[in-house]
Amino acid sequence: MQDLLWFLPDWPPAFDEPMAFGALLLAGLVGGEIVNRVLALPRITGYVLAGIACGPFGLGLVEGPLFNEARLFVDLALGLIMFELGARLDFAWLARNRWLSVAAVGESLGAFFAIYTALLYAGFAPLLAGCAAAVGTATSPAVVMLITQELRASGQITERMLLFTAVNCAVAFVALTLLLPLVHLEYKADWRSALLHPLYVLFGAALLGFAACQLMLWLAKWLGKREDRQFVLQVGMIVLVVGLARAADVTVGVALLAFGVFARNQDYDHALLPLRFGYAGQLLFVVLFVLTGASLDFGFLAQAAGAAAAFIVARFLGKAAAILAFGRLSGLRAGGAGLLSLSLLPMSGLAVVMVWDTAALFPAFGTELAAVVLSAVAILELVGPLATQFALRRAGEASAEERA
Amino acid sequence: MSVLPFAPSAPLSLGVELELQLVRAHDHDLAHEAGDLIARLAKKKVPGAVKPEVTLSMVELNSSIQQGYAGLLAELEAQRAAVREAAGMLNLRVAGGGTHPFHKWPERRVFPAERFQSVVERYGFLAKQFTVFGQHIHIGCASGDDAIYLTHMLTRHVPQFIALSAASPFYQGEDTSFQSSRLTAVSAFPLSGHMPFVRDWREFVGYFETMRGVGIVESMKDFYWDIRPKPEYGTIEIRVCDTPLTIRRAALLAAYAQALACYYLAERPFEPAAAVYQMNAHNRFEACRYGYAGSLVEPFERRRKAIGEDILDSIAHVMPHAARLGSAQGLGDLAAEVRGGYSDAGWLRAQRGASGTLGDVVRKAAERWASG
Repeated sequence: MQDLLWFLPDWPPAFDEPMAFGALLLAGLVGGEIVNRVLALPRITGYVLAGIACGPFGLGLVEGPLFNEARLFVDLALGLIMFELGARLDFAWLARNRWLSVAAVGESLGAFFAIYTALLYAGFAPLLAGCAAAVGTATSPAVVMLITQELRASGQITERMLLFTAVNCAVAFVALTLLLPLVHLEYKADWRSALLHPLYVLFGAALLGFAACQLMLWLAKWLGKREDRQFVLQVGMIVLVVGLARAADVTVGVALLAFGVFARNQDYDHALLPLRFGYAGQLLFVVLFVLTGASLDFGFLAQAAGAAAAFIVARFLGKAAAILAFGRLSGLRAGGAGLLSLSLLPMSGLAVVMVWDTAALFPAFGTELAAVVLSAVAILELVGPLATQFALRRAGEASAEERA
Repeated sequence: MSVLPFAPSAPLSLGVELELQLVRAHDHDLAHEAGDLIARLAKKKVPGAVKPEVTLSMVELNSSIQQGYAGLLAELEAQRAAVREAAGMLNLRVAGGGTHPFHKWPERRVFPAERFQSVVERYGFLAKQFTVFGQHIHIGCASGDDAIYLTHMLTRHVPQFIALSAASPFYQGEDTSFQSSRLTAVSAFPLSGHMPFVRDWREFVGYFETMRGVGIVESMKDFYWDIRPKPEYGTIEIRVCDTPLTIRRAALLAAYAQALACYYLAERPFEPAAAVYQMNAHNRFEACRYGYAGSLVEPFERRRKAIGEDILDSIAHVMPHAARLGSAQGLGDLAAEVRGGYSDAGWLRAQRGASGTLGDVVRKAAERWASG
């Protein structure tokens, strides 16, 4: 019998990447729709819940190994998001509105030092507190972009939320990279490699972003302003840069953020069309959130709940303090500062990636870092999108008919 | 005491309202940030006034009462500087032009104030479609009778004002083939069109009382006419102009209207004629569609004439009055532009030809408004 049915596959079938991608996509789609219809919550929350349901704390369909294979999807999704976000970082605006620059940098530094101080008080080692603070400085770019898209939000709070997120992601990357030498030394690495590694990671990524931007601008000029062609060009370049960053072992997020920032600020001839990645981007977003949900570790939450709570509260207060202090001066309307602070609450996939990458270099340190940061992510993954959605709606910047 | 008292104002005094587009920096689509911009400007000392309009994508500059071209231009320049500075802080661009070339009207948001909400309740989708940008010119009149006379006389010049200001060749992402496509959005309103053919202010008040008596209108604001008397200001208001791309042209259009008014009130060359209104719809269409190249029917002489030629004749005719009013040089420049065939609509089309995208058209229009 066995010989006769040789053409049948082994059972269970091997779980390959297209199957994983498709399954995650559909799980997210269904989860998002149910949560949106039944509970009227943002779809993102549904994607995350679908991930949790599939993950080790749910049905256990997605486990460790798939996670590493799926890292490609995560990098692609984050790459696309970081590029779009980078393209919203408008240096001309920051130069014109000095108080806006002060508020943006202050918001990042406020979050960093608030988290750092809170964790020191909670008894964490300075280096660990510093790295956790660096990760916590960043707002989830995926959440703010996706909520913006789903609500079709537009206005001052939305614009500043995206701008501040671009800035705080950049600050988080730089801070985490600058702390790396200290971790290296703590783990007795050669001081030369301790110094050169962060430099390589940061400048390598920035250089890659710069070079890619020059190539893209040149090609865009040659192709002309045709939306169909520029769509292929921009997606192609983004995927290429993600691949190159992975191959060169530099941070994918930094490379793509730099790519986006250069694309916005170096396009003097206005050769690039402003594109919305729309449905194509949605595919990657859904998978990103499902994977993030599946990676949430509620085991940590039990042991680090207190630290996570301190982390979240300190982070919010740090961000809000700077925005409340400088918001009005930078031209924010009354009441806007509070809403902007609230909109910057989310933490998600980027934080997870930052923790993973640190853990890959220093496993023991990474586990400690994961306990506090990922516990906070587990909470903010669910609270963050709601906060952002509430803030943008309350600000009157969401399109009224849309239910996200 | 009349139900509609006409508050006389200094004859030939001058004022303009300019509706402007607020544009996002990153994709040049319309922004929704009129509230933020107006709040910011409220803290500054800006001459005249900056007001909201029906959707959050527009603001309106109002000049104060001016006597002539130079004063008006200086005030508009001061207003522009203030608006440009405030908009820069919010990363907004501001542009002239009668329409935004590619915005989608369903995406517009209505300004959160009761009077605009009631416009939406009354007119439905027309309210959001009314996100078009016009210049209104006020000319002071000593009496209601003068206002009626001037309205009848200037109606003959409506095609000229349309052609001179035309700056809305693109609408909803398409080239409309019109020089001014904006007025079609106005025509959709039930009380658009023109003032009825009344002899004097008394007869006009009778008409108004009838309309109010049967509940069709509540106030003069409900009439969306091309030219309407504005009794509470003591002016007539010319409403057919697209907002030009530059404040200089906006001031020139006002100066031209002032010179025409001066000519008609001083010389009383014609009696009001119903023929003006019989030809009006045709002449108006020709101006919207073809601009200077359109062909109007001169209602007093009953002959066809190119609109550009008609403008040049009129400017030449009122030049002595313009000289007295201090706008001869300006009107001379305006005539030269007409002779050269320059129109804002043509300029906008040329920008698209150069780059191919409507986003670039908006970007360049905003650069032009900021500097020109």
